[in-house]
Amino acid sequence: MTRLAFLLTVLLAATPALAQPPATNVEDPRLYEVASQLRCVVCQNLSVADSPSEMAQQMRAMVRERLRAGDSSEQVLQFFVDKYGEWILLSPRKQGFNWLVWGAPLIAVALGLVIFAIVVRRWTARRRERVAAAATRPAIDPAMRERIRKELELEGER
Amino acid sequence: MTPELGHGAIIVAGLLAIYGALVSAIGGRTGRTALLESAQHAALGVFGLVTFAMLLLIYSFLTFDFSVRYVAMNTNLQTPYYFRITALWGALEGSLILWAWMVALYTLIVILRHRHNARELYPWVLTTMLGVAAFFLIVMAVPAPPFERMTPIPANGRGLNPLLEDTGMITHPVALYLGFTGFTVPFAFAVGALATGRVGDRWITLTRRWTIVAWYFLSLGLLIGGWWSYHVLGWGGYWAWDPVENAAFMPWLTGTAFLHSVMIQERRRMLKLWNIGLVIMTFALTLFGTFLTRSGVIASVHAFTQGAIGVFFLSFLSLVVLVSLALLAWRWEALAAEGELDSVVSRESAFLLNNVLLVAATFTVFFGTVFPLLSEAVRGVKVSVGAPFFNQVTVPLFLGLLFLMGVGPLIAWRRASRDNLRRNFLWPIAIGIVSAAIIFAAGVRSTLAVLTLALTVFVTATVAVDFVRATRARLRMGEGLLPAMGGLLVRHNRRYGGFAIHLGILVIAVGVTGSQAWSLHREATLKKGEAVELAGYTFQFAGLAARDAGNHFLVESTFKVTNGNIAPREMRPAKKFYPQEQSPIAHVDYRLGWVEDLYLVLGDFERDGSQATVKVQVNRMVSWIWIGGVVLTLGTLLAILPDRKKPA
Repeated sequence: MTRLAFLLTVLLAATPALAQPPATNVEDPRLYEVASQLRCVVCQNLSVADSPSEMAQQMRAMVRERLRAGDSSEQVLQFFVDKYGEWILLSPRKQGFNWLVWGAPLIAVALGLVIFAIVVRRWTARRRERVAAAATRPAIDPAMRERIRKELELEGER
Repeated sequence: MTPELGHGAIIVAGLLAIYGALVSAIGGRTGRTALLESAQHAALGVFGLVTFAMLLLIYSFLTFDFSVRYVAMNTNLQTPYYFRITALWGALEGSLILWAWMVALYTLIVILRHRHNARELYPWVLTTMLGVAAFFLIVMAVPAPPFERMTPIPANGRGLNPLLEDTGMITHPVALYLGFTGFTVPFAFAVGALATGRVGDRWITLTRRWTIVAWYFLSLGLLIGGWWSYHVLGWGGYWAWDPVENAAFMPWLTGTAFLHSVMIQERRRMLKLWNIGLVIMTFALTLFGTFLTRSGVIASVHAFTQGAIGVFFLSFLSLVVLVSLALLAWRWEALAAEGELDSVVSRESAFLLNNVLLVAATFTVFFGTVFPLLSEAVRGVKVSVGAPFFNQVTVPLFLGLLFLMGVGPLIAWRRASRDNLRRNFLWPIAIGIVSAAIIFAAGVRSTLAVLTLALTVFVTATVAVDFVRATRARLRMGEGLLPAMGGLLVRHNRRYGGFAIHLGILVIAVGVTGSQAWSLHREATLKKGEAVELAGYTFQFAGLAARDAGNHFLVESTFKVTNGNIAPREMRPAKKFYPQEQSPIAHVDYRLGWVEDLYLVLGDFERDGSQATVKVQVNRMVSWIWIGGVVLTLGTLLAILPDRKKPA
């Protein structure tokens, strides 16, 4: 309990100080939001928002400029797509062929859950059949059964 | 002369490994122990020769033998001696030696530990281990020879990739490779189980510690990689969903699934097929990851170790998968025995769901990683699948896993009674909900952060409930508080080791959530004397200095950092100019803290030192990730303690 209390205290003590808007660039939250969607063209898999390279710094400056000029986030992204191709976006647009990659996780989970449901149904049915078959044999005294169940449960908690 | 000796040693080791693998298999079929002994000698020989070759390569590094291409490419006369040693695994060929050496080492340990206690499986385990070692040796003999000569001999080497001149690089690859190669052992036992038809629980009991050790080293490798990325790459993050990171993460996910699902088999004799499948998948994914990233089919930060080895890895991967599938088909009847389940409200089903989510996460990461190839092949259009995508699609899965982390260890096996549920979960759920309300009331508005933190509290509460209850039970037996707690940890080391690992993961989860939700960034171009403010700190640009720093040229800026409470201090982010690199490399300066790190990255600057651009970050809770790693380590140590109850 003390450990829990300690952890809770730390967590709760930390929260008010941290109760600020989500990860952001303080000058303009949109700058971070847009730049983190763009791939730094000279880096490997780093976003324009994060990369320390000079190229990324220049690209951030471009994003900042366009946002100040009144472009929407989407327009800035489109500007870069026109210039570099779809490749510049760190997450593929939800359209056409790209639906495949967006849909894959959903399909995987759905399929997994369906298999889980089928397996559980089949296995519980088997269990019921066996118990039903066993029930025709002389039953154990209910008090005894309760004791066994308790023991099993205790065992299960170890 | 030395390089030829090294190359010769590798070839002989390869032949010996092949011989040992064959002889061991024949010994297994015929039961002739002399053959097995011969295979063991071969394994010892392989280990000796690979060690010899590795030492020769280190020797070449230490003596600057630039006639060896690998040495010339990865060091120069300015490289300090410790980085000349670790340059061994600075690129592909040397990594392969290290890799083969680890497989050979694991083989020896397997021989020492298991030649008597696993008689039937043992020959096939040896065959598999030696077969894997042989593969790495063949790769080193043909497509990626570490001792290849270079003519003309350069006067100086090209030098190590500057990003690798860091202590993280000394340890990260070693830990990661120990993890990767470590999964060879459970895989070898699975093959043994299939080959002999003894697909029962024996192989699982034998490999439990092996799996935990491999899993731990893989976790450690990932964490050190994150730490390296954080303090070296200068982007303020620790995980970029880079293909290589994904490649290492996938076997971690399936390995985690395996660690959990074997418990069902141990307890309930079910899931034989699934467990063997998972361990095969894990091993295949370690190969696939290497293929993906070392063959150059996918660009990644780790592309410095690519070569023309793709075909070899792909062939070996196909061989492993085909042989495994054939073996599975052959033993289908023994494996396919169906399970029984009393109720859907049971630990079995919590573990099954855990497996569903982990495998779905693996598939997601896999598909996301290869999708750019697919898109280019089908549409002819290059796309990127990066951090924003992976964060969005995997986070719900991880939240689900967090929840199950609270449920799984406490819910009863077979059928959880209402009483069991109430006793174990009433308080944790209540505490979780209350903490969600408090966190929200404290002003946290990110749904994700509230959810993750509340789930973390819930899981921690379940662990506390269990631990407190068990301690109380011991107190009632008349034990003192500390002996009671200590005895609990030692006697049920597996259970509480597992809990400690869970707590480590929770601490990491809090760190990840916090850093995503509350970190602040700012970029400013400052004239000398000007300052920028962020999160209550003032960063004043005090000037630039330049100097020769041995193997590179350093431009260092000075910033005076103050806030209301602390004494002013100086931070010096810099840029390093290496002769062998086209563009300078950012050298981050950071101050770690329990709740927030200060993180400065120098950008453009005027050569006269009058002006500089700086990226200022206040990164929140990142330290928790590293602390989580320490907790994870302690938990693992506890989990693999020798069994006290029945000494082996």
